[in-house]
Amino acid sequence: MLLLWAAVAFSGHLVDQVGHPVQAGPVTRLVALAPDVVELAFALGAGERLVGVAGTADFPVAARLLPRVTVGDVESIMARRPDLVLATTAGNDPRVIERLRASGVRTFTADVTSCERLAEVLRLLGEVLGARRRGDELADDVLGRCAAAARRAADLPGQGALWVVWWEPPIVAAPNTFHHDLLHRAALTNLAPEGAGRYPRVNPEVFLDPGLRFVVSPDEPDVRAGWERFATSAAGTRLAAGDVQVLWLPADPASRPGPRMPEALEALVAAREARR
Amino acid sequence: MKRTADVLLGVVLLAAAAAGLLAPGPGAAPGEALDVLLGSGTEGATVAVLGVRLPRLALALAVGAALALAGASLQALLATPLADPFLLGISGGGAAAATAAVALLPVAAFGAVPAAGMAGAALATLAVWWMARGPLGPSTTRLLLAGIAVNAAASVAILAVLALADAPRLASALAITMGSFSAATPAAVLWLLPYLLLPAALLLHDGRDLGLLALGEESAAALGVDVTAVRRRVFLASAALCGGAVAFAGVIGFVGLVTPHLCRLIWGMAPRRLFWRAALAGAALTAFGDVLARQLVAPAELPVGVVTAALGVPFFVALLRRAP
Repeated sequence: MLLLWAAVAFSGHLVDQVGHPVQAGPVTRLVALAPDVVELAFALGAGERLVGVAGTADFPVAARLLPRVTVGDVESIMARRPDLVLATTAGNDPRVIERLRASGVRTFTADVTSCERLAEVLRLLGEVLGARRRGDELADDVLGRCAAAARRAADLPGQGALWVVWWEPPIVAAPNTFHHDLLHRAALTNLAPEGAGRYPRVNPEVFLDPGLRFVVSPDEPDVRAGWERFATSAAGTRLAAGDVQVLWLPADPASRPGPRMPEALEALVAAREARR
Repeated sequence: MKRTADVLLGVVLLAAAAAGLLAPGPGAAPGEALDVLLGSGTEGATVAVLGVRLPRLALALAVGAALALAGASLQALLATPLADPFLLGISGGGAAAATAAVALLPVAAFGAVPAAGMAGAALATLAVWWMARGPLGPSTTRLLLAGIAVNAAASVAILAVLALADAPRLASALAITMGSFSAATPAAVLWLLPYLLLPAALLLHDGRDLGLLALGEESAAALGVDVTAVRRRVFLASAALCGGAVAFAGVIGFVGLVTPHLCRLIWGMAPRRLFWRAALAGAALTAFGDVLARQLVAPAELPVGVVTAALGVPFFVALLRRAP
Protein backbone atom coordinates (compact mmCIF):
# COMPACT_ATOMS: atom_id res chain seq x y z
CA MET A 1 0.00 0.00 0.00
CA LEU A 2 2.76 2.41 0.94
CA LEU A 3 4.43 1.85 -2.38
CA LEU A 4 1.17 2.52 -4.21
CA TRP A 5 0.57 5.74 -2.30
CA ALA A 6 4.16 6.77 -3.03
CA ALA A 7 3.52 6.08 -6.69
CA VAL A 8 0.48 8.35 -6.61
CA ALA A 9 2.28 11.12 -4.74
CA PHE A 10 5.37 11.27 -6.90
CA SER A 11 4.20 10.41 -10.38
CA GLY A 12 0.73 11.89 -10.49
CA HIS A 13 -0.88 8.60 -11.46
CA LEU A 14 -2.00 5.40 -9.77
CA VAL A 15 -0.78 1.89 -10.31
CA ASP A 16 -3.34 -0.90 -10.67
CA GLN A 17 -3.02 -4.31 -9.02
CA VAL A 18 -0.92 -5.80 -11.80
CA GLY A 19 1.53 -2.89 -11.87
CA HIS A 20 0.16 -0.87 -14.79
CA PRO A 21 0.11 2.90 -14.30
CA VAL A 22 -3.36 4.42 -14.60
CA GLN A 23 -3.36 7.99 -15.94
CA ALA A 24 -5.29 10.50 -13.88
CA GLY A 25 -8.33 12.11 -15.49
CA PRO A 26 -12.10 12.17 -15.45
CA VAL A 27 -13.99 8.95 -16.09
CA THR A 28 -17.32 9.33 -17.81
CA ARG A 29 -17.50 6.22 -19.98
CA LEU A 30 -16.63 3.04 -18.15
CA VAL A 31 -16.47 -0.52 -19.56
CA ALA A 32 -16.16 -3.48 -17.16
CA LEU A 33 -14.98 -6.81 -18.55
CA ALA A 34 -16.02 -9.17 -15.73
CA PRO A 35 -18.90 -9.48 -13.25
CA ASP A 36 -16.65 -8.80 -10.23
CA VAL A 37 -15.40 -5.47 -11.58
CA VAL A 38 -18.96 -4.54 -12.62
CA GLU A 39 -19.94 -5.07 -8.98
CA LEU A 40 -16.97 -2.97 -7.85
CA ALA A 41 -18.06 -0.11 -10.12
CA PHE A 42 -21.62 -0.22 -8.80
CA ALA A 43 -20.44 -0.44 -5.19
CA LEU A 44 -18.38 2.72 -5.74
CA GLY A 45 -21.40 4.54 -7.15
CA ALA A 46 -20.13 4.51 -10.74
CA GLY A 47 -22.84 2.24 -12.15
CA GLU A 48 -24.37 5.09 -14.15
CA ARG A 49 -21.07 5.66 -15.92
CA LEU A 50 -20.93 2.07 -17.20
CA VAL A 51 -21.45 2.02 -20.98
CA GLY A 52 -20.53 -1.61 -21.54
CA VAL A 53 -20.24 -4.75 -19.42
CA ALA A 54 -19.33 -8.43 -19.79
CA GLY A 55 -22.15 -10.67 -20.97
CA THR A 56 -22.14 -12.54 -17.67
CA ALA A 57 -22.65 -9.39 -15.54
CA ASP A 58 -25.93 -9.88 -13.65
CA PHE A 59 -25.51 -8.06 -10.34
CA PRO A 60 -26.89 -5.67 -9.28
CA VAL A 61 -30.08 -5.97 -11.33
CA ALA A 62 -29.30 -2.69 -13.11
CA ALA A 63 -26.22 -4.37 -14.65
CA ARG A 64 -28.47 -6.69 -16.66
CA LEU A 65 -29.85 -3.73 -18.60
CA LEU A 66 -26.46 -2.38 -19.70
CA PRO A 67 -25.00 -2.82 -23.20
CA ARG A 68 -22.88 -5.96 -23.55
CA VAL A 69 -19.36 -6.20 -24.91
CA THR A 70 -17.44 -9.26 -26.09
CA VAL A 71 -14.65 -9.40 -23.54
CA GLY A 72 -12.12 -11.02 -25.87
CA ASP A 73 -12.78 -8.63 -28.75
CA VAL A 74 -10.90 -5.32 -28.62
CA GLU A 75 -13.08 -3.86 -31.38
CA SER A 76 -16.27 -4.58 -29.44
CA ILE A 77 -14.79 -2.87 -26.37
CA MET A 78 -13.44 0.13 -28.31
CA ALA A 79 -16.83 0.58 -29.97
CA ARG A 80 -18.19 1.72 -26.60
CA ARG A 81 -15.61 4.59 -26.63
CA PRO A 82 -14.52 4.01 -23.03
CA ASP A 83 -12.21 6.34 -21.17
CA LEU A 84 -11.49 3.58 -18.66
CA VAL A 85 -11.74 -0.22 -18.98
CA LEU A 86 -11.96 -2.30 -15.83
CA ALA A 87 -10.57 -5.84 -16.00
CA THR A 88 -9.67 -8.65 -13.64
CA THR A 89 -7.01 -11.33 -13.48
CA ALA A 90 -9.87 -13.72 -12.65
CA GLY A 91 -10.92 -14.40 -16.21
CA ASN A 92 -9.77 -11.63 -18.57
CA ASP A 93 -7.14 -12.22 -21.24
CA PRO A 94 -4.11 -10.01 -20.46
CA ARG A 95 -3.36 -9.76 -24.20
CA VAL A 96 -6.66 -7.94 -24.69
CA ILE A 97 -5.69 -5.48 -21.96
CA GLU A 98 -2.28 -4.94 -23.56
CA ARG A 99 -3.90 -4.23 -26.94
CA LEU A 100 -6.28 -1.75 -25.34
CA ARG A 101 -3.38 -0.02 -23.60
CA ALA A 102 -1.40 0.02 -26.84
CA SER A 103 -4.41 1.73 -28.45
CA GLY A 104 -4.30 4.46 -25.84
CA VAL A 105 -7.24 3.23 -23.74
CA ARG A 106 -6.83 3.61 -19.98
CA THR A 107 -7.21 0.29 -18.17
CA PHE A 108 -7.39 -0.78 -14.56
CA THR A 109 -6.87 -4.47 -13.71
CA ALA A 110 -7.93 -5.86 -10.35
CA ASP A 111 -6.13 -8.85 -8.86
CA VAL A 112 -8.05 -9.66 -5.68
CA THR A 113 -6.52 -12.56 -3.78
CA SER A 114 -7.48 -11.65 -0.20
CA CYS A 115 -9.62 -9.34 1.91
CA GLU A 116 -6.69 -6.92 2.06
CA ARG A 117 -6.36 -6.91 -1.72
CA LEU A 118 -10.11 -6.30 -2.02
CA ALA A 119 -9.83 -3.35 0.34
CA GLU A 120 -6.85 -2.09 -1.65
CA VAL A 121 -8.69 -2.26 -4.98
CA LEU A 122 -11.67 -0.43 -3.47
CA ARG A 123 -9.39 2.41 -2.33
CA LEU A 124 -7.47 2.56 -5.63
CA LEU A 125 -10.55 2.39 -7.81
CA GLY A 126 -12.33 4.89 -5.59
CA GLU A 127 -9.43 7.26 -6.27
CA VAL A 128 -9.54 6.63 -10.03
CA LEU A 129 -13.32 7.07 -10.21
CA GLY A 130 -13.32 10.19 -8.05
CA ALA A 131 -15.07 8.37 -5.20
CA ARG A 132 -12.24 8.31 -2.72
CA ARG A 133 -14.37 8.59 0.42
CA ARG A 134 -16.76 5.85 -0.75
CA GLY A 135 -13.79 3.63 -1.58
CA ASP A 136 -12.26 4.16 1.85
CA GLU A 137 -15.59 3.43 3.56
CA LEU A 138 -16.09 0.23 1.60
CA ALA A 139 -12.49 -0.85 2.21
CA ASP A 140 -12.86 -0.33 5.96
CA ASP A 141 -16.13 -2.24 5.90
CA VAL A 142 -14.54 -5.18 4.05
CA LEU A 143 -11.62 -5.34 6.46
CA GLY A 144 -13.94 -5.08 9.45
CA ARG A 145 -16.26 -7.84 8.25
CA CYS A 146 -13.39 -10.15 7.32
CA ALA A 147 -11.76 -9.60 10.71
CA ALA A 148 -15.05 -10.20 12.54
CA ALA A 149 -15.68 -13.43 10.65
CA ALA A 150 -12.13 -14.60 11.36
CA ARG A 151 -12.63 -13.88 15.10
CA ARG A 152 -15.76 -16.05 15.07
CA ALA A 153 -13.88 -18.81 13.27
CA ALA A 154 -11.02 -18.67 15.78
CA ASP A 155 -13.15 -20.78 18.15
CA LEU A 156 -13.58 -23.51 15.53
CA PRO A 157 -11.12 -26.42 15.23
CA GLY A 158 -8.56 -26.08 12.44
CA GLN A 159 -9.33 -28.73 9.82
CA GLY A 160 -8.32 -29.69 6.30
CA ALA A 161 -10.40 -28.43 3.38
CA LEU A 162 -10.49 -28.04 -0.38
CA TRP A 163 -12.32 -25.36 -2.34
CA VAL A 164 -13.65 -27.16 -5.43
CA VAL A 165 -14.57 -24.91 -8.34
CA TRP A 166 -15.35 -27.78 -10.78
CA TRP A 167 -15.82 -31.52 -10.29
CA GLU A 168 -15.26 -33.20 -13.65
CA PRO A 169 -12.27 -33.25 -13.55
CA PRO A 170 -11.79 -31.91 -10.02
CA ILE A 171 -10.32 -28.38 -10.08
CA VAL A 172 -9.46 -26.74 -6.76
CA ALA A 173 -8.37 -23.31 -5.57
CA ALA A 174 -4.70 -23.21 -4.58
CA PRO A 175 -2.76 -20.62 -2.54
CA ASN A 176 -2.71 -17.09 -3.96
CA THR A 177 -6.45 -17.11 -4.64
CA PHE A 178 -9.17 -15.33 -2.70
CA HIS A 179 -10.70 -18.75 -2.00
CA HIS A 180 -7.53 -19.75 -0.17
CA ASP A 181 -7.70 -16.56 1.89
CA LEU A 182 -11.31 -17.24 2.85
CA LEU A 183 -10.50 -20.83 3.87
CA HIS A 184 -7.63 -19.57 6.02
CA ARG A 185 -9.85 -16.96 7.73
CA ALA A 186 -12.46 -19.66 8.40
CA ALA A 187 -9.79 -21.68 10.28
CA LEU A 188 -9.49 -24.23 7.50
CA THR A 189 -6.21 -25.53 6.10
CA ASN A 190 -6.23 -25.58 2.33
CA LEU A 191 -4.95 -29.00 1.20
CA ALA A 192 -4.61 -27.87 -2.43
CA PRO A 193 -1.11 -28.15 -3.88
CA GLU A 194 1.20 -25.17 -4.28
CA GLY A 195 3.22 -24.55 -7.41
CA ALA A 196 0.75 -25.97 -9.92
CA GLY A 197 -1.09 -22.76 -10.75
CA ARG A 198 -3.95 -20.97 -9.03
CA TYR A 199 -6.59 -23.51 -10.01
CA PRO A 200 -4.91 -26.91 -10.46
CA ARG A 201 -6.61 -30.08 -11.54
CA VAL A 202 -6.06 -32.65 -8.79
CA ASN A 203 -5.83 -36.40 -8.52
CA PRO A 204 -9.37 -37.52 -7.48
CA GLU A 205 -7.70 -39.53 -4.72
CA VAL A 206 -7.26 -36.29 -2.70
CA PHE A 207 -10.89 -36.70 -1.65
CA LEU A 208 -9.86 -39.88 0.18
CA ASP A 209 -7.15 -38.05 2.18
CA PRO A 210 -7.97 -38.74 5.86
CA GLY A 211 -6.97 -35.15 6.69
CA LEU A 212 -9.75 -33.75 4.51
CA ARG A 213 -12.85 -32.81 6.53
CA PHE A 214 -14.58 -30.13 4.43
CA VAL A 215 -15.11 -29.36 0.80
CA VAL A 216 -16.31 -25.88 -0.07
CA SER A 217 -18.08 -25.31 -3.36
CA PRO A 218 -20.24 -22.62 -5.00
CA ASP A 219 -23.90 -23.57 -5.04
CA GLU A 220 -24.47 -23.56 -8.81
CA PRO A 221 -26.58 -26.14 -10.70
CA ASP A 222 -23.67 -27.35 -12.90
CA VAL A 223 -21.32 -27.65 -9.94
CA ARG A 224 -23.92 -29.51 -7.87
CA ALA A 225 -24.61 -31.88 -10.77
CA GLY A 226 -20.89 -32.56 -11.08
CA TRP A 227 -20.66 -33.24 -7.35
CA GLU A 228 -23.58 -35.66 -7.51
CA ARG A 229 -21.86 -37.62 -10.26
CA PHE A 230 -18.49 -37.50 -8.49
CA ALA A 231 -20.02 -38.71 -5.22
CA THR A 232 -21.08 -41.92 -6.95
CA SER A 233 -17.47 -42.74 -7.91
CA ALA A 234 -14.99 -44.59 -5.70
CA ALA A 235 -13.05 -41.35 -5.14
CA GLY A 236 -16.27 -39.80 -3.82
CA THR A 237 -16.83 -42.51 -1.20
CA ARG A 238 -16.07 -40.25 1.81
CA LEU A 239 -18.20 -37.46 0.34
CA ALA A 240 -21.16 -39.79 -0.15
CA ALA A 241 -20.76 -41.20 3.36
CA GLY A 242 -20.62 -37.72 4.92
CA ASP A 243 -17.07 -38.22 6.30
CA VAL A 244 -16.15 -35.20 4.21
CA GLN A 245 -18.81 -32.51 4.49
CA VAL A 246 -19.66 -30.25 1.59
CA LEU A 247 -20.27 -26.62 2.47
CA TRP A 248 -22.31 -25.00 -0.30
CA LEU A 249 -21.87 -21.23 -0.46
CA PRO A 250 -23.94 -18.63 -2.32
CA ALA A 251 -22.64 -18.97 -5.86
CA ASP A 252 -21.77 -15.44 -6.93
CA PRO A 253 -20.07 -14.17 -3.75
CA ALA A 254 -18.15 -17.45 -3.60
CA SER A 255 -17.05 -17.25 -7.23
CA ARG A 256 -16.38 -13.54 -7.78
CA PRO A 257 -13.53 -11.67 -6.10
CA GLY A 258 -15.73 -8.59 -5.77
CA PRO A 259 -17.33 -6.50 -3.03
CA ARG A 260 -19.62 -9.36 -1.93
CA MET A 261 -16.63 -11.52 -0.98
CA PRO A 262 -17.18 -10.93 2.78
CA GLU A 263 -20.65 -12.49 2.33
CA ALA A 264 -18.97 -15.70 1.18
CA LEU A 265 -16.68 -15.68 4.20
CA GLU A 266 -19.56 -15.03 6.60
CA ALA A 267 -21.58 -17.85 4.97
CA LEU A 268 -18.56 -20.16 5.25
CA VAL A 269 -18.04 -19.43 8.93
CA ALA A 270 -21.79 -19.80 9.61
CA ALA A 271 -21.81 -23.16 7.81
CA ARG A 272 -18.88 -24.33 9.93
CA GLU A 273 -20.56 -23.14 13.13
CA ALA A 274 -23.73 -25.00 12.16
CA ARG A 275 -21.74 -28.23 11.89
CA ARG A 276 -19.78 -27.81 15.09
CA MET B 1 17.97 -61.04 -28.25
CA LYS B 2 14.24 -61.17 -29.09
CA ARG B 3 13.60 -63.57 -26.20
CA THR B 4 15.39 -61.21 -23.82
CA ALA B 5 13.34 -58.35 -25.19
CA ASP B 6 10.15 -60.34 -24.61
CA VAL B 7 11.13 -60.93 -21.00
CA LEU B 8 12.05 -57.26 -20.61
CA LEU B 9 8.69 -56.21 -22.05
CA GLY B 10 6.93 -58.41 -19.51
CA VAL B 11 9.00 -56.94 -16.68
CA VAL B 12 8.32 -53.36 -17.81
CA LEU B 13 4.60 -54.06 -18.05
CA LEU B 14 4.52 -55.57 -14.56
CA ALA B 15 6.54 -52.64 -13.20
CA ALA B 16 4.11 -50.19 -14.80
CA ALA B 17 1.15 -52.02 -13.28
CA ALA B 18 2.83 -52.15 -9.87
CA ALA B 19 3.68 -48.44 -10.03
CA GLY B 20 0.09 -47.66 -11.00
CA LEU B 21 -1.18 -49.36 -7.85
CA LEU B 22 1.62 -48.70 -5.37
CA ALA B 23 2.95 -45.20 -6.17
CA PRO B 24 2.26 -42.75 -3.34
CA GLY B 25 -1.03 -40.91 -3.44
CA PRO B 26 -3.28 -38.95 -1.08
CA GLY B 27 -5.44 -42.01 -0.42
CA ALA B 28 -2.71 -44.56 0.33
CA ALA B 29 1.06 -44.56 0.88
CA PRO B 30 3.04 -47.34 -0.89
CA GLY B 31 3.12 -49.50 2.25
CA GLU B 32 -0.62 -49.12 2.79
CA ALA B 33 -1.27 -49.94 -0.88
CA LEU B 34 0.87 -53.07 -0.58
CA ASP B 35 -1.12 -54.11 2.49
CA VAL B 36 -4.29 -53.79 0.40
CA LEU B 37 -2.87 -56.07 -2.28
CA LEU B 38 -1.87 -58.55 0.42
CA GLY B 39 -5.41 -58.47 1.81
CA SER B 40 -4.81 -56.55 5.03
CA GLY B 41 -5.35 -52.92 4.04
CA THR B 42 -7.42 -50.32 5.82
CA GLU B 43 -10.83 -49.42 4.45
CA GLY B 44 -9.67 -46.03 3.13
CA ALA B 45 -6.59 -47.47 1.44
CA THR B 46 -8.67 -50.28 -0.06
CA VAL B 47 -11.03 -47.78 -1.68
CA ALA B 48 -8.05 -45.79 -3.00
CA VAL B 49 -6.20 -48.80 -4.44
CA LEU B 50 -9.03 -51.04 -5.63
CA GLY B 51 -11.72 -48.42 -6.23
CA VAL B 52 -9.71 -45.58 -7.76
CA ARG B 53 -6.29 -46.81 -8.91
CA LEU B 54 -7.21 -50.24 -10.27
CA PRO B 55 -9.87 -49.02 -12.76
CA ARG B 56 -7.52 -46.19 -13.68
CA LEU B 57 -4.67 -48.62 -14.33
CA ALA B 58 -6.94 -50.95 -16.29
CA LEU B 59 -8.17 -48.08 -18.47
CA ALA B 60 -4.60 -46.84 -19.04
CA LEU B 61 -3.46 -50.32 -20.06
CA ALA B 62 -6.44 -50.84 -22.38
CA VAL B 63 -6.14 -47.42 -24.02
CA GLY B 64 -2.37 -47.73 -24.48
CA ALA B 65 -2.76 -51.16 -26.03
CA ALA B 66 -5.52 -49.90 -28.33
CA LEU B 67 -3.56 -46.88 -29.54
CA ALA B 68 -0.33 -48.79 -30.13
CA LEU B 69 -2.14 -51.60 -31.94
CA ALA B 70 -4.01 -49.08 -34.09
CA GLY B 71 -0.74 -47.29 -34.88
CA ALA B 72 1.06 -50.52 -35.79
CA SER B 73 -1.76 -51.71 -38.04
CA LEU B 74 -2.17 -48.36 -39.79
CA GLN B 75 1.56 -48.09 -40.40
CA ALA B 76 1.50 -51.56 -41.94
CA LEU B 77 -1.66 -50.88 -43.95
CA LEU B 78 -0.59 -47.51 -45.32
CA ALA B 79 3.06 -48.51 -45.65
CA THR B 80 4.19 -45.30 -44.02
CA PRO B 81 5.95 -44.88 -40.69
CA LEU B 82 4.10 -41.58 -40.24
CA ALA B 83 0.69 -43.18 -39.83
CA ASP B 84 -0.85 -43.08 -36.40
CA PRO B 85 -4.38 -43.00 -35.00
CA PHE B 86 -4.47 -39.20 -35.29
CA LEU B 87 -3.43 -39.00 -38.92
CA LEU B 88 -6.68 -40.49 -40.18
CA GLY B 89 -8.86 -38.05 -38.29
CA ILE B 90 -10.57 -40.75 -36.24
CA SER B 91 -9.28 -39.54 -32.88
CA GLY B 92 -10.02 -35.97 -33.95
CA GLY B 93 -13.60 -36.86 -34.83
CA GLY B 94 -14.11 -38.57 -31.48
CA ALA B 95 -12.54 -35.68 -29.57
CA ALA B 96 -14.61 -33.09 -31.45
CA ALA B 97 -17.87 -34.86 -30.65
CA ALA B 98 -16.89 -35.44 -27.01
CA THR B 99 -15.87 -31.79 -26.45
CA ALA B 100 -19.11 -30.64 -28.12
CA ALA B 101 -21.06 -32.90 -25.77
CA VAL B 102 -19.23 -31.39 -22.78
CA ALA B 103 -20.09 -27.89 -23.97
CA LEU B 104 -23.74 -28.59 -24.76
CA LEU B 105 -25.01 -31.33 -22.44
CA PRO B 106 -26.21 -30.66 -18.89
CA VAL B 107 -23.52 -31.75 -16.44
CA ALA B 108 -25.88 -34.42 -15.10
CA ALA B 109 -25.73 -36.05 -18.54
CA PHE B 110 -21.92 -36.12 -18.79
CA GLY B 111 -22.17 -39.92 -18.63
CA ALA B 112 -23.13 -39.73 -22.30
CA VAL B 113 -19.84 -38.06 -23.30
CA PRO B 114 -18.05 -41.36 -24.16
CA ALA B 115 -21.01 -42.34 -26.36
CA ALA B 116 -20.71 -39.01 -28.14
CA GLY B 117 -16.97 -39.60 -28.59
CA MET B 118 -17.65 -43.02 -30.02
CA ALA B 119 -20.26 -41.63 -32.42
CA GLY B 120 -17.86 -38.89 -33.53
CA ALA B 121 -15.12 -41.42 -34.21
CA ALA B 122 -17.56 -43.57 -36.19
CA LEU B 123 -18.70 -40.58 -38.25
CA ALA B 124 -15.10 -39.56 -38.93
CA THR B 125 -14.34 -43.14 -40.02
CA LEU B 126 -17.25 -43.13 -42.46
CA ALA B 127 -16.26 -39.70 -43.76
CA VAL B 128 -12.66 -40.76 -44.40
CA TRP B 129 -13.73 -43.99 -46.08
CA TRP B 130 -16.30 -42.18 -48.23
CA MET B 131 -13.82 -39.51 -49.32
CA ALA B 132 -11.09 -42.07 -50.00
CA ARG B 133 -13.21 -44.22 -52.30
CA GLY B 134 -12.07 -44.13 -55.91
CA PRO B 135 -12.82 -46.21 -58.99
CA LEU B 136 -10.23 -48.77 -57.84
CA GLY B 137 -11.17 -48.65 -54.17
CA PRO B 138 -9.54 -46.55 -51.48
CA SER B 139 -5.85 -46.11 -52.18
CA THR B 140 -3.25 -45.35 -49.53
CA THR B 141 -2.77 -41.81 -50.78
CA ARG B 142 -6.50 -41.09 -50.84
CA LEU B 143 -6.93 -42.49 -47.33
CA LEU B 144 -4.14 -40.29 -46.01
CA LEU B 145 -5.47 -37.17 -47.73
CA ALA B 146 -9.02 -37.84 -46.54
CA GLY B 147 -7.67 -38.37 -43.01
CA ILE B 148 -5.83 -35.07 -43.12
CA ALA B 149 -9.01 -33.31 -44.28
CA VAL B 150 -11.17 -34.88 -41.55
CA ASN B 151 -8.49 -34.13 -38.96
CA ALA B 152 -8.45 -30.48 -40.01
CA ALA B 153 -12.24 -30.29 -39.78
CA ALA B 154 -12.17 -31.91 -36.34
CA SER B 155 -9.49 -29.48 -35.13
CA VAL B 156 -11.60 -26.55 -36.27
CA ALA B 157 -14.65 -27.97 -34.50
CA ILE B 158 -12.68 -28.49 -31.26
CA LEU B 159 -11.28 -24.95 -31.37
CA ALA B 160 -14.75 -23.53 -31.99
CA VAL B 161 -16.13 -25.46 -29.01
CA LEU B 162 -13.27 -24.29 -26.79
CA ALA B 163 -13.79 -20.69 -27.90
CA LEU B 164 -17.52 -20.73 -27.24
CA ALA B 165 -17.85 -23.01 -24.19
CA ASP B 166 -18.73 -21.57 -20.79
CA ALA B 167 -15.53 -20.97 -18.81
CA PRO B 168 -16.11 -23.65 -16.12
CA ARG B 169 -16.74 -26.32 -18.75
CA LEU B 170 -13.40 -25.60 -20.40
CA ALA B 171 -11.74 -27.80 -17.76
CA SER B 172 -13.84 -30.77 -18.88
CA ALA B 173 -13.24 -30.00 -22.56
CA LEU B 174 -9.48 -29.64 -22.06
CA ALA B 175 -9.39 -32.97 -20.22
CA ILE B 176 -10.65 -34.54 -23.45
CA THR B 177 -8.22 -32.73 -25.74
CA MET B 178 -5.19 -33.57 -23.58
CA GLY B 179 -6.18 -37.00 -22.28
CA SER B 180 -6.96 -38.21 -18.79
CA PHE B 181 -7.65 -41.42 -16.92
CA SER B 182 -8.89 -39.66 -13.79
CA ALA B 183 -12.56 -40.43 -14.48
CA ALA B 184 -11.90 -44.16 -14.95
CA THR B 185 -14.53 -46.51 -13.57
CA PRO B 186 -14.92 -50.30 -13.81
CA ALA B 187 -17.90 -49.68 -16.12
CA ALA B 188 -15.74 -47.60 -18.50
CA VAL B 189 -13.18 -50.40 -18.68
CA LEU B 190 -15.89 -52.98 -19.39
CA TRP B 191 -17.38 -50.78 -22.11
CA LEU B 192 -13.97 -50.34 -23.71
CA LEU B 193 -12.99 -54.01 -23.74
CA PRO B 194 -15.07 -55.04 -26.80
CA TYR B 195 -13.54 -52.14 -28.73
CA LEU B 196 -10.12 -53.52 -27.86
CA LEU B 197 -10.54 -57.28 -28.01
CA LEU B 198 -12.61 -57.68 -31.20
CA PRO B 199 -10.45 -55.41 -33.38
CA ALA B 200 -7.31 -56.96 -31.89
CA ALA B 201 -8.52 -60.44 -32.85
CA LEU B 202 -9.34 -59.18 -36.35
CA LEU B 203 -5.94 -57.55 -36.79
CA LEU B 204 -4.08 -60.63 -35.61
CA HIS B 205 -6.18 -62.68 -38.05
CA ASP B 206 -5.26 -60.35 -40.91
CA GLY B 207 -1.62 -60.10 -39.86
CA ARG B 208 -0.35 -62.46 -42.55
CA ASP B 209 -2.18 -60.59 -45.31
CA LEU B 210 -0.91 -57.27 -43.98
CA GLY B 211 2.62 -58.67 -44.12
CA LEU B 212 2.08 -59.56 -47.77
CA LEU B 213 0.65 -56.10 -48.46
CA ALA B 214 4.02 -54.69 -47.39
CA LEU B 215 5.43 -56.28 -50.57
CA GLY B 216 3.14 -54.08 -52.64
CA GLU B 217 -0.51 -54.26 -53.63
CA GLU B 218 0.07 -56.08 -56.92
CA SER B 219 2.34 -58.66 -55.33
CA ALA B 220 -0.11 -59.20 -52.47
CA ALA B 221 -3.00 -59.60 -54.90
CA ALA B 222 -0.97 -62.05 -56.94
CA LEU B 223 -0.42 -64.08 -53.78
CA GLY B 224 -4.18 -64.30 -53.19
CA VAL B 225 -4.81 -61.37 -50.86
CA ASP B 226 -8.13 -59.57 -51.32
CA VAL B 227 -6.50 -56.17 -50.98
CA THR B 228 -9.69 -54.10 -50.78
CA ALA B 229 -11.30 -56.37 -48.18
CA VAL B 230 -8.17 -56.49 -46.02
CA ARG B 231 -7.77 -52.73 -46.24
CA ARG B 232 -11.40 -52.20 -45.22
CA ARG B 233 -11.18 -54.61 -42.28
CA VAL B 234 -7.90 -53.22 -40.98
CA PHE B 235 -9.10 -49.65 -41.35
CA LEU B 236 -12.35 -50.35 -39.50
CA ALA B 237 -10.56 -52.31 -36.76
CA SER B 238 -8.08 -49.45 -36.26
CA ALA B 239 -10.95 -46.97 -36.21
CA ALA B 240 -12.73 -48.96 -33.50
CA LEU B 241 -9.53 -49.05 -31.43
CA CYS B 242 -9.00 -45.28 -31.76
CA GLY B 243 -12.65 -44.46 -31.20
CA GLY B 244 -12.82 -46.52 -28.02
CA ALA B 245 -9.63 -44.99 -26.68
CA VAL B 246 -10.56 -41.37 -27.35
CA ALA B 247 -14.12 -41.85 -26.10
CA PHE B 248 -13.02 -42.98 -22.65
CA ALA B 249 -9.68 -41.22 -22.17
CA GLY B 250 -9.53 -38.31 -24.62
CA VAL B 251 -6.66 -37.59 -26.98
CA ILE B 252 -3.37 -39.18 -25.92
CA GLY B 253 -0.61 -38.43 -28.36
CA PHE B 254 2.49 -40.25 -29.57
CA VAL B 255 1.66 -43.69 -28.13
CA GLY B 256 0.32 -44.88 -31.48
CA LEU B 257 3.24 -43.37 -33.38
CA VAL B 258 6.27 -44.13 -31.24
CA THR B 259 5.46 -47.54 -29.78
CA PRO B 260 5.25 -49.42 -33.11
CA HIS B 261 8.55 -47.84 -34.22
CA LEU B 262 10.31 -49.02 -31.09
CA CYS B 263 8.84 -52.49 -31.37
CA ARG B 264 9.72 -52.75 -35.05
CA LEU B 265 13.35 -52.03 -34.20
CA ILE B 266 13.39 -54.96 -31.80
CA TRP B 267 10.97 -57.52 -33.23
CA GLY B 268 10.98 -56.73 -36.94
CA MET B 269 8.26 -55.89 -39.45
CA ALA B 270 6.07 -59.04 -39.46
CA PRO B 271 2.66 -57.85 -38.26
CA ARG B 272 1.66 -60.99 -36.38
CA ARG B 273 4.88 -60.89 -34.39
CA LEU B 274 4.75 -57.12 -33.96
CA PHE B 275 1.12 -56.42 -33.13
CA TRP B 276 0.66 -58.02 -29.73
CA ARG B 277 4.07 -56.81 -28.55
CA ALA B 278 3.23 -53.26 -29.66
CA ALA B 279 -0.04 -53.52 -27.75
CA LEU B 280 1.76 -54.57 -24.56
CA ALA B 281 4.42 -51.87 -24.98
CA GLY B 282 1.72 -49.23 -25.56
CA ALA B 283 -0.08 -50.41 -22.44
CA ALA B 284 3.12 -50.07 -20.41
CA LEU B 285 3.83 -46.60 -21.84
CA THR B 286 0.41 -45.16 -20.97
CA ALA B 287 0.42 -46.80 -17.53
CA PHE B 288 3.82 -45.25 -16.76
CA GLY B 289 2.65 -41.98 -18.31
CA ASP B 290 -0.33 -41.93 -15.96
CA VAL B 291 1.88 -42.59 -12.94
CA LEU B 292 4.10 -39.66 -13.94
CA ALA B 293 1.03 -37.47 -14.60
CA ARG B 294 -0.07 -38.13 -11.01
CA GLN B 295 3.36 -37.80 -9.41
CA LEU B 296 5.17 -34.90 -11.10
CA VAL B 297 3.07 -32.13 -9.50
CA ALA B 298 1.23 -34.24 -6.89
CA PRO B 299 -1.44 -33.99 -5.69
CA ALA B 300 -2.16 -31.83 -8.73
CA GLU B 301 -2.34 -33.78 -11.94
CA LEU B 302 -0.94 -33.25 -15.43
CA PRO B 303 -2.90 -34.32 -18.50
CA VAL B 304 -1.54 -37.73 -19.46
CA GLY B 305 -1.30 -36.65 -23.10
CA VAL B 306 1.27 -34.05 -22.06
CA VAL B 307 3.39 -36.71 -20.38
CA THR B 308 3.23 -39.21 -23.25
CA ALA B 309 4.13 -36.44 -25.71
CA ALA B 310 7.02 -35.32 -23.49
CA LEU B 311 8.29 -38.91 -23.41
CA GLY B 312 7.57 -39.57 -27.07
CA VAL B 313 8.96 -36.49 -28.79
CA PRO B 314 12.64 -36.84 -27.73
CA PHE B 315 12.50 -40.54 -28.43
CA PHE B 316 11.03 -39.94 -31.87
CA VAL B 317 13.65 -37.28 -32.68
CA ALA B 318 16.40 -39.69 -31.63
CA LEU B 319 14.94 -42.39 -33.87
CA LEU B 320 14.71 -39.95 -36.75
CA ARG B 321 18.32 -38.82 -36.34
CA ARG B 322 19.60 -42.41 -36.25
CA ALA B 323 17.65 -43.54 -39.31
CA PRO B 324 19.76 -43.95 -42.47
